[in-house]
Amino acid sequence: MAMLSFEKKYRVRGGTLLGGDLFDFWVGPFYVGFFGVTTAFFTFLGTALILWGASQGPTWNLWQINIAPPDLSYGLALAPLMEGGLWQLITVCAIGAFGSWLLREVEICRKLGMGYHVPFAFGVAILAYVTLVVVRPVLMGAWGHGFPYGIFSHLDWVSNVGYQYLHFHYNPAHMLAVSFFFATVFALSLHGSLILSATNPAPGTEVKTPEHEDTFFRDFIGYSIGTLGIHRLGLFLALAAVLFSALCIVISGPFWSLGWPEWWSWWLNLPIWSQWPLS
Amino acid sequence: MLHSSKLWLTRGAKLAALASLVTLAACERPPMQSEQSGYRGTGMVQVVNPRTLDDRAAANTVPMATPMAPAAGPKASEIYQNVQVLGDLSVGQFTRLMVAITSWIAPQEGCNYCHNPANLADDSKYTKVVSRRMIEMTQNINANWKTHVADTGVTCYTCHRGQAVPAEVWFKADHESKGANFIGDKAGQNSPAASVKLASLPNDPFTPFLLGDHAIRVNGTTALPTGNRSSIKQTEWTYGLMVHMSASLGVNCTYCHNSRAFSSWDDVPPQRVKAWHGIRMARDVNNEYITPLTEVFPANRKGVLGDLAKVNCATCHQGVNKPLLGASMLKDYPSLASGAK
Amino acid sequence: MAQYQNLFTTVQATGPLHDGVPLGPGNSPRTGKQPWVSYWLGKLGNAQIGPIYLGGLGLASLILGVFAFTLIGMNMLASVGWDPIQFVRQLFWLSLEPPPPTYGLEIPPLNQGGWHLIVGLFLTASLAFWWARTYRRARALGMGTHVAWAFAAALWLYLCLGLFRPILMGSWSEGVPYGIFPHLDWTAAFSLRYGNLFYNPFHALSIVFLYGATLLFAMHGATILAVTRFGGEREIEQIIDRGTASERAGLFWRWTMGFNATMESIHRWAWWFAVLCPITGGIGILLTGTVVDNWYLWAIKHGVAPPYPDVFPAAVDPALSSGG
Repeated sequence: MAMLSFEKKYRVRGGTLLGGDLFDFWVGPFYVGFFGVTTAFFTFLGTALILWGASQGPTWNLWQINIAPPDLSYGLALAPLMEGGLWQLITVCAIGAFGSWLLREVEICRKLGMGYHVPFAFGVAILAYVTLVVVRPVLMGAWGHGFPYGIFSHLDWVSNVGYQYLHFHYNPAHMLAVSFFFATVFALSLHGSLILSATNPAPGTEVKTPEHEDTFFRDFIGYSIGTLGIHRLGLFLALAAVLFSALCIVISGPFWSLGWPEWWSWWLNLPIWSQWPLS
Repeated sequence: MLHSSKLWLTRGAKLAALASLVTLAACERPPMQSEQSGYRGTGMVQVVNPRTLDDRAAANTVPMATPMAPAAGPKASEIYQNVQVLGDLSVGQFTRLMVAITSWIAPQEGCNYCHNPANLADDSKYTKVVSRRMIEMTQNINANWKTHVADTGVTCYTCHRGQAVPAEVWFKADHESKGANFIGDKAGQNSPAASVKLASLPNDPFTPFLLGDHAIRVNGTTALPTGNRSSIKQTEWTYGLMVHMSASLGVNCTYCHNSRAFSSWDDVPPQRVKAWHGIRMARDVNNEYITPLTEVFPANRKGVLGDLAKVNCATCHQGVNKPLLGASMLKDYPSLASGAK
Repeated sequence: MAQYQNLFTTVQATGPLHDGVPLGPGNSPRTGKQPWVSYWLGKLGNAQIGPIYLGGLGLASLILGVFAFTLIGMNMLASVGWDPIQFVRQLFWLSLEPPPPTYGLEIPPLNQGGWHLIVGLFLTASLAFWWARTYRRARALGMGTHVAWAFAAALWLYLCLGLFRPILMGSWSEGVPYGIFPHLDWTAAFSLRYGNLFYNPFHALSIVFLYGATLLFAMHGATILAVTRFGGEREIEQIIDRGTASERAGLFWRWTMGFNATMESIHRWAWWFAVLCPITGGIGILLTGTVVDNWYLWAIKHGVAPPYPDVFPAAVDPALSSGG
């Protein structure tokens, strides 16, 4: 049954959003629920479509498999299966699977009496995915603007979409997103380190206390955000990184068609200094 | 003071909305037109704001051509003195072309911009000497650079557009350190320069690449190192040139390249070959036709380093992929199509 | 949903401020005898600011670091003719540039990259002292030195970019300029020069760990916040004496994805993901230009680059036919 030593008392009925007791059970360690069923359905279907698409393609090499979106000429219509329609179906399955997973997480939270922070955070990630494959293509008028499903082919897409704007690093939202990504990794390394340094202290000494944690960071940089604060900060940094990423791509194209360096002309031409030439 | 999370949520939402509005105020808006080149899903797409197309069309209207003059009658070189180019034209054709050139170059100033009114054959005005060479340059471009201009060709109007000095020209940049001789050298970059569309890339890529023949390519041709010593800095210079090219044509990098492999010639848009020839054509124009005229021009026409206004991609293209949106003026002015020495 | 989500502290209780766990002999006294309280910080985390430990290592690091930072600023100010308005206006474009390639590994003139080398020297020294500080402060409190080793991973990447790789390439010009937009130009040019860095497998790994760390912090931060009602944020206590917070947190993930971490092990997952990002990134930087000159061609050679159907008519490199 693969249950942890303390798990049995937590396996109670209830917390479901849909379906009542019908799917309120576990398979091994996995909770099922109504949304576990829908997740399984979308996942199997989507994966099968990907595998079938790969079989119709030139290769089974994991790095080279590519399921491409339709040509732009199909606009927002459903394209023929082998001309990008498959990509569209897989996208529907992906959104179905991700949404089901989120709602399953909600059911699990309810059963365990936890806050909904985890599915909320996952929702932000789903938002980023939907922005890339639905929102931006709709704003641009064609499903073909979505990214291809392939390990290296999706990177070719990233590269070319970046160069559509000559120098994507100058996208201000991209700059913020990257900064938040690096800040997240930085903060995570500090938080992981701090907990481990307190619970795995100098050889031969006792496990340390939260006062030690606070003291270390106050000694170090003059401030300690604390045990609760660091988790708020970490969640905020991570979600900010993803939200600004979604923002940076949704404005590229629909809200800006030129090179990104040129966007900065508003700063250079502010009335406070526009009367002087740029030296 | 108690604050409910709902209050914070609405405050946060308002702040986010305000920030978004501020950001978007500096932006454009949908819908945008997009055109795909390359295989689907590769992301090789040109994005155009349709609200700019009217302005673009207006800026690229071709002036009306006057009716053709008859070829019959005595030649211009027989009737007029000091006719060193276009001498084989009839007087009628010659005069018609002169009138057109006046409207293309100096519509306000008129014939006397180049000519001494007391003696039309006189070369005392520098503008006449320059124009003669410019006519030869135009004929050279149209005859010998079909690899770039095809049969569409160029006329004086393509660059000048009714101005004596074309709107898009470049001078050599003065890269002397502004701070002192021991600190503050910008190394030819790190300024918000219009020439590279406000990137901090090297802002005079024209001197090495469109006047000089420095190598633009920086990539190696093998996976492992086999002697390619190009530096990251050199790459930035090439990048600066490429940003200029993109902006001059109103296109992005994927117009010519699949960025997965910029240097590869495997399945590339045909425009890339055109661009390669365009670079060589610009070098030809700058070195064979413009630079030799340096002593002819007065000081007020020269840059800070005493050089002349030269051509780059923007000079002809002026923001569109085909100058004048691909309209050919040559059919109305065939004498400019060839005959260069 | 008018439920409190524990994102911001609604009621702040300010007790006696904490002077810190006492340090043993061989340590300086702490600076800031009267730590102060910030109400707005207190909405997110602890409200107390200070005291700070300013020991010899910290002071040395700060002095060297501020000096390096000032040199960068002086170069930027000089480059706009000492005009403070242009300094602010052009700030994002300004930079302190590395030397041109012609100087190789020689010491160049000041204005031709000399300042860049000096700043690199002082900045590296400053960071080395700061690293020693992270080690000493942990040891002074009898704690493990995990922070120091995590910082070492970041320093590895910094040294790869500014020291190891330029030396291996035989040219200080390969270093990164000190400037906002210019260091982004460097990044783009690096990828352009070496045949598209997306095909560098260590670059891919580094991104996996970057996104993975972000994913982990979102997961971990959210999980803890979701069980703060059970005291989940008291992680040390939960580690040595598992309470219902850890049990529910673990079970959430076990029921969701079939396996779970513990209150301690999640911090090990976190540490390794975070630390492997700069480690693999540094390796990827070090291999570029030294071992591999063109990552796209490398990918073709190793059968990793996806094929696309030809779309354009066949074109011949014009340089081949006309000889350049």
